[in-house]
Amino acid sequence: MSDFDLDRLGDVWRQQPDPAELEALRRSAEAVRRRARWSQLIEVAAALVVAGLVVVLALSNPERDILVAGGAAIVILLYSLIRQRRLREAELHGLTGSAEEMIDQSIFRVEATLKRAKFGAVMMPAGLIFGLSFGYLIDRGSAGRPMTWYHGQPGLAAIVLALACASLGIATILLFRSMRKSRQELERLTGLREAYRKEGEQIS
Amino acid sequence: MISLRNDEGRGAVATQESSTEAGGAKGATPRFERIVADYGGLISRIAMSYEADPSLREDLTQQIFLAVWQALPSYRADASLKTFIAKVAQNRSISYVARQTRQPRTAELPETLEADDHTPEQHAINLNEREALLEATRQLAMPQREVIILVLEGFTYAEIGDMLNIAPNALALRLSRAKAALKKILEPGE
Repeated sequence: MSDFDLDRLGDVWRQQPDPAELEALRRSAEAVRRRARWSQLIEVAAALVVAGLVVVLALSNPERDILVAGGAAIVILLYSLIRQRRLREAELHGLTGSAEEMIDQSIFRVEATLKRAKFGAVMMPAGLIFGLSFGYLIDRGSAGRPMTWYHGQPGLAAIVLALACASLGIATILLFRSMRKSRQELERLTGLREAYRKEGEQIS
Repeated sequence: MISLRNDEGRGAVATQESSTEAGGAKGATPRFERIVADYGGLISRIAMSYEADPSLREDLTQQIFLAVWQALPSYRADASLKTFIAKVAQNRSISYVARQTRQPRTAELPETLEADDHTPEQHAINLNEREALLEATRQLAMPQREVIILVLEGFTYAEIGDMLNIAPNALALRLSRAKAALKKILEPGE
């Protein structure tokens, strides 16, 4: 490749994939489009079903508690839909903006994910202590009847303990894996941002 | 430094893709199927220049298709559709690289090419040259890779400047550095 000419290299670069590869691309794109369309439809349908159920429940039992709980459920649903929409808009902005904007936005997103994961790691033992204390208080308030019944069932205590330990273990592993992944992504994104910044500085 | 001598001429680089606007009337959202037919090659080449492993590349290609599908309603025809697709594909590829937990592979496996070249020897030469070019492109720093891919894809310098949101002189300098880096990789002895 002694003749270093970008126009000539461009001709080499732009060779079309063969028809079989193009057909595979077409099939792959069609599958992606179908999945994305279905997921959009399912999301809308699920929101409508939940909202409908809440309305039906509230109308069939028009008591204050149920109306309040139903109203809260709809507010949470709306909040989650709005949040998802905002996230999508931000992602879209990142896709159609410059690479540097996209990197900055990704850094912001990963930092937020990392903060949430750290918060989760702190909250997990706190939640466990809270749950155990709550159970203890209920047991004491009922003169020890729940615990007596619980220990009276053969094998139940062992099963519950095993399930609780497994759930806790899995949750801990997932949490730390997510934190490690986010840190690695953040490191890479920071490196990329630095590369762009350096490029800009060298040019200026 | 590379001069921008070919700015107008580069726009005339006639690829099958640049000659077709997959949309129909201005303002109408272009049809996704048409985009895949017209710009599938462009998307595939961009994916190749960010991921060497064929199975992972397939995953990246799907992510790009999804990104294009999601971004399509925001296309406003103030730039060419090819420019829009390339920008979305590059941004998705860059975020893909950042998300990878391992360094993307740089060793390239053989690519199948349409036999434009008439003799087996010419085909082999082109195949090797393209493999070398892909491999070299993947070794470039991200800002340089981004600009080289767009140049190799035949975009005009004005289009590249708009896509990267940089001034013409900054683009010329970045391209000059990218070209020097690419040359160093492709011709290490010279």
